[in-house]
Amino acid sequence: MNLTSEQKMLVETVRRFVENEMLPLEDEIEETGRLAPEKARALFEKASANGMYAMNIPEEFGGGGLSAVDTMLVEEQFGHAKDILIRRAFGNVYEVLLKCNEAQRERWLLPTVRGERTCSIAITEPNAGSDAAAIKTRAVPDGKGGWKITGGKHFISDGEFSDFFVVSVVTDASAGAKGISLFLVDKGTPGFIIGRDQKMMGLTGTSHVELAFDEVPVGPENLLGGEGQGFKLILETLGRVRLAQVCARAVGKSVRLLNLMVSYAQERKQFGKPIGDFQMIQQMIADSVVEINASRLLVLDAASDIDNGIDARDKIAMAKFYVSEVLGRVADRAVQVYGGMGYCADLPIERMYRDARIYRIFDGTSEIHRTVVARSAMKHGEALYGTL
Amino acid sequence: MKVLVPVKRVADYNVKVRPKSDGSGVELANVKMSMNPFDEIAVEEAVRLKEAGVASEVIAVSCGIAACQETLRTALAMGADRAILVETDAELQSLAVAKLLKVVADKEGAQLVICGKQAIDDDANQTAQMLAALLDWGQATYASKLSVADGTIEVTREVDGGLETLALALPAVVSADLRLNEPRYATLPNIMKAKKKPLDTLKAAELGVDVAPRVATLSVYTPPERKGGIKVGSVAELVHKLKDDTRVL
Repeated sequence: MNLTSEQKMLVETVRRFVENEMLPLEDEIEETGRLAPEKARALFEKASANGMYAMNIPEEFGGGGLSAVDTMLVEEQFGHAKDILIRRAFGNVYEVLLKCNEAQRERWLLPTVRGERTCSIAITEPNAGSDAAAIKTRAVPDGKGGWKITGGKHFISDGEFSDFFVVSVVTDASAGAKGISLFLVDKGTPGFIIGRDQKMMGLTGTSHVELAFDEVPVGPENLLGGEGQGFKLILETLGRVRLAQVCARAVGKSVRLLNLMVSYAQERKQFGKPIGDFQMIQQMIADSVVEINASRLLVLDAASDIDNGIDARDKIAMAKFYVSEVLGRVADRAVQVYGGMGYCADLPIERMYRDARIYRIFDGTSEIHRTVVARSAMKHGEALYGTL
Repeated sequence: MKVLVPVKRVADYNVKVRPKSDGSGVELANVKMSMNPFDEIAVEEAVRLKEAGVASEVIAVSCGIAACQETLRTALAMGADRAILVETDAELQSLAVAKLLKVVADKEGAQLVICGKQAIDDDANQTAQMLAALLDWGQATYASKLSVADGTIEVTREVDGGLETLALALPAVVSADLRLNEPRYATLPNIMKAKKKPLDTLKAAELGVDVAPRVATLSVYTPPERKGGIKVGSVAELVHKLKDDTRVL
């Protein structure tokens, strides 16, 4: 695949920004468990001044207006850095907010694109992970045209920092997936409690919180899309988010790990020669190179379908489990090539190894996405793999 | 005031370059290429002059193969107004580039040329000086500060003994040192606009300039690997090492 000169420049510019402005902050985040607010602010301001915030959102709403393919190219570069740095520098502005109606835009979409407000997506519940339609959080009509939300969510990324949440809620318990609606719920709404930060194996610096809803009042102005449209909206919009924030970023992480592996294989000497001269090390490098290139092509091919208005859900499912598993393998090999130094927390490999593990789990486990792909293959046959 | 900024396409500063196996030069196949970092500083300075209302137009120029267009697009994305590629497949040495740049500077009626002080590939550090001589303009090399007022420029330059400040009448040639400024990132809107900015191509062969190399490269090789130091036990041993082993004395 050949990139245009704009695409190359875009990738190059974002890469430099990540390397110069973001990676130097990682050690401190790992040590203190947080990104200092003033550093987060400075990072946001610098990225924003360069038009790098909310690049995925159309220009008419103040974003960068990148195509899906271009979004994936920059997201891959984002992926070199830690999650919290990406959130603060470039913004996780979810495309589902584009479903805001005109009245909602001023309050939720536009300030989020400008970086004045931050949004988290709240779908996952203790008993509804991959099975997102099994949520129990419900909204009961209040008799005055609004609702009262009761229930709980967990693992809500960046929930401590976010100003508002896109919350999936059952509005019609008899309608199954068609009875789910999305609500925009502001922090500070009565009865809406931000719970404890659930400590994770990796992703240091990003909070993952529990949310509790105790008869939280919401009105029609909080309803995103129509009543009962929630699950459809999730399926429509979160695929692109998954491709960008999970798949493309995972490719970037694999690239960073392989860069480290390749340089160490040439520097590290044992038995009088660089370990890169040993064929078992070479195999780890060669396999990583090919798997990373295959990963990127899967991501860009799916993105190209999105840009051409073709339903990319199957391809996103393929990318999701393949790319995240490649990241897992590359991270494992990186630890192996570095040996004890790979296990030692002095180098970024150790934390990248921990960060990598979640990629096979969040946004749909490998197992769920394999099921999607296998079922689609049995339904559509060669259409899924017979040609580009 | 038109400002001309020559930019060179070089192996990226992150790349560990290797000599070709036949020793004829540096291996550049499949190597990532970027704009010479000192030229980025020059572009940044010119763009700042434009933003300050001092420069009327910033023109980036590159001499070399068609791929130099990418380097020029980067300059455009940083804020240059238009670009000129002086295209040739020939090997260009500093003097040839200076001659080509003179033609462009004359043709464009440039008042100020801001170059990087040297390119990180051959580190020749000659083009700016040669260009100033060919144009018969004043020159201020290794600039760490530049200000323009009423047909003159004031340049603070980094010299061995400290800082020296020169006042020059325009037109002039300035070469940028590392501390002149910190180049900006190209902004997303400017990256997208870069393609729409004019990029003209001149054929070097049609400019009536003799670009034939004046210097022949005999061989390019990796410097010998540095060996670790040793400790000596006595003055006698030290003298012996210096005299007989290393032949320093």
